[in-house]
Amino acid sequence: MMPDYVRKKLLLVDFDKITEYLVERMREYIKESGKEGGIVGLSGGIDSSVTAVLLSKATKNAYFLLMPSSSTPHQDLQHAYSILKLVNATEKNYSVINIDEITSLFSKAVGTDDKLVVGNIKARVRMILLYAFAQKHNYLVVGTGDKSELMLGYFTKYGDGGVDILPIGDLYKTQVRALGLHLGIPEEIVKKPPSPALWEGQTAEGEIGLDYETIDSILYLKFEEMLDEETISKITNTDISAINKIIKMVKTSQHKRLPPEIFRLSGRAINSDWRYPRQWG
Amino acid sequence: MGLRVELAQIRPKLGDVTHNFQKHIEIIKTSSADCVVFPELSLTGYVLRDLVFEVYKESEKAVNKLSEHSKCVIAGLVKEVRPGILRNSAAVIIEGKIDYIYKFYLPTYGLFEERRYFQPGDPRTDLRIYEYKGYKFGVTICEDAWHYEPIEALALMGADVIMIPAASPMRRLSSTIAIREQWEALLKAHSIINGVWSVFVNTVGSQEEEFFWGGSMVVSPLGEIISTAKLFEEDRIITEINLNEVRKNRFFSSFRDHLQGFHEVLHKL
Repeated sequence: MMPDYVRKKLLLVDFDKITEYLVERMREYIKESGKEGGIVGLSGGIDSSVTAVLLSKATKNAYFLLMPSSSTPHQDLQHAYSILKLVNATEKNYSVINIDEITSLFSKAVGTDDKLVVGNIKARVRMILLYAFAQKHNYLVVGTGDKSELMLGYFTKYGDGGVDILPIGDLYKTQVRALGLHLGIPEEIVKKPPSPALWEGQTAEGEIGLDYETIDSILYLKFEEMLDEETISKITNTDISAINKIIKMVKTSQHKRLPPEIFRLSGRAINSDWRYPRQWG
Repeated sequence: MGLRVELAQIRPKLGDVTHNFQKHIEIIKTSSADCVVFPELSLTGYVLRDLVFEVYKESEKAVNKLSEHSKCVIAGLVKEVRPGILRNSAAVIIEGKIDYIYKFYLPTYGLFEERRYFQPGDPRTDLRIYEYKGYKFGVTICEDAWHYEPIEALALMGADVIMIPAASPMRRLSSTIAIREQWEALLKAHSIINGVWSVFVNTVGSQEEEFFWGGSMVVSPLGEIISTAKLFEEDRIITEINLNEVRKNRFFSSFRDHLQGFHEVLHKL
């Protein structure tokens, strides 16, 4: 549950303005990077649905890739198709690629059937496909990660984390849901439990042990309002051990959010004291 | 006849001085205003990071070239004030003559990191009053308007108009644009307290993660927002300002009283 105090801060926002802003920034970024459009992996979940709708508003050249596997619920695929319909995608701008065969080749090569390892292989196979399609079309890979997942580290490094931009990366999951409703995404997509679907029956809230309204409240109160754990526990009516668990997830996943560490030798080392903007040349 | 001021709310290309210079020239050449005011670091862009070391010379040269075309122009650049010392600066060009003002308060918190690159101006030597067509004005850059002293000092030194080139990024999502409301409040307060026109010219568009919201505006000495530029996109607006509004404020306010004792106390803090 989200306390009223947090709800006011996170959800009483102008979603028209946010949409306009995100669409404009995507448009600008595509243009400035010299690309002709964008590609997004569409899973049928809320994040990729919202990202797909925003991308289709930003450019005529939007491409959608559906990459189901044996662990993808049939319902998700149906939801992905309903989003294709919502954005008026035609056969020219989407493809469906089942990744089971590629995944099993990787798994065999590695010699494992560990669900976590195989799950991450799936995420990285999808990344490779997205980049290959992107390069073929001279498009950008548009990531679908939201702020909650990014902060928790609830993503695969160089898998769904391997993207060019993260348009909804500064919106918590609950904000993305609200934005989804605002954008006309069907309620059943907005309301279903989020899942990476890397193995059967996996749900984000099941794995983390809290619902996203509570997770987002903790993340917001801890890292934006910088309150202490006890106060957060009172405001969210959540056990302090759960709050500590969330904070630990954020801290231990910091390496996923930063570029790889470079061991300094020179007088000017990349990222440390060699800091240039992306828009350089 | 009032002074016609153009608020040139441009979207500079980060680090591309040639591109930005062309944009300046185009606006200056087509402007019917007496004075054209560009945003903070308008010739270089704001989120430069280590690019400052690569663009400062070019931005200084661009200012020299601008001076060939100008009546009254205020443009943002990075100036090397002595070898190896850079300042976040605004060139004030009047009839071909160039002078520079420097930012005093360098934001280095949150997303800002100006102290990493720039030296602050020194109020004892760097507060300047200019005059154009009978109008006395001062120039102060962005963060300096988030403090009392720079504008207070300029007003007490004789300025009736304060030009404020800025690069204000959007942050803190809410139902309104909080940062815009804060700027409105600040500008109104400066104008009302000092009996001055406040001319705020913001950058617009994205630079790296940040997005500059535009919304440049002119606030009268009575604290009224007289004109506003568009949000989120480039815009040019001309506003005519006059000294009567300054009189309307100062005849009926206590601006004339400057109790130096307060500053003596502040000096000792």
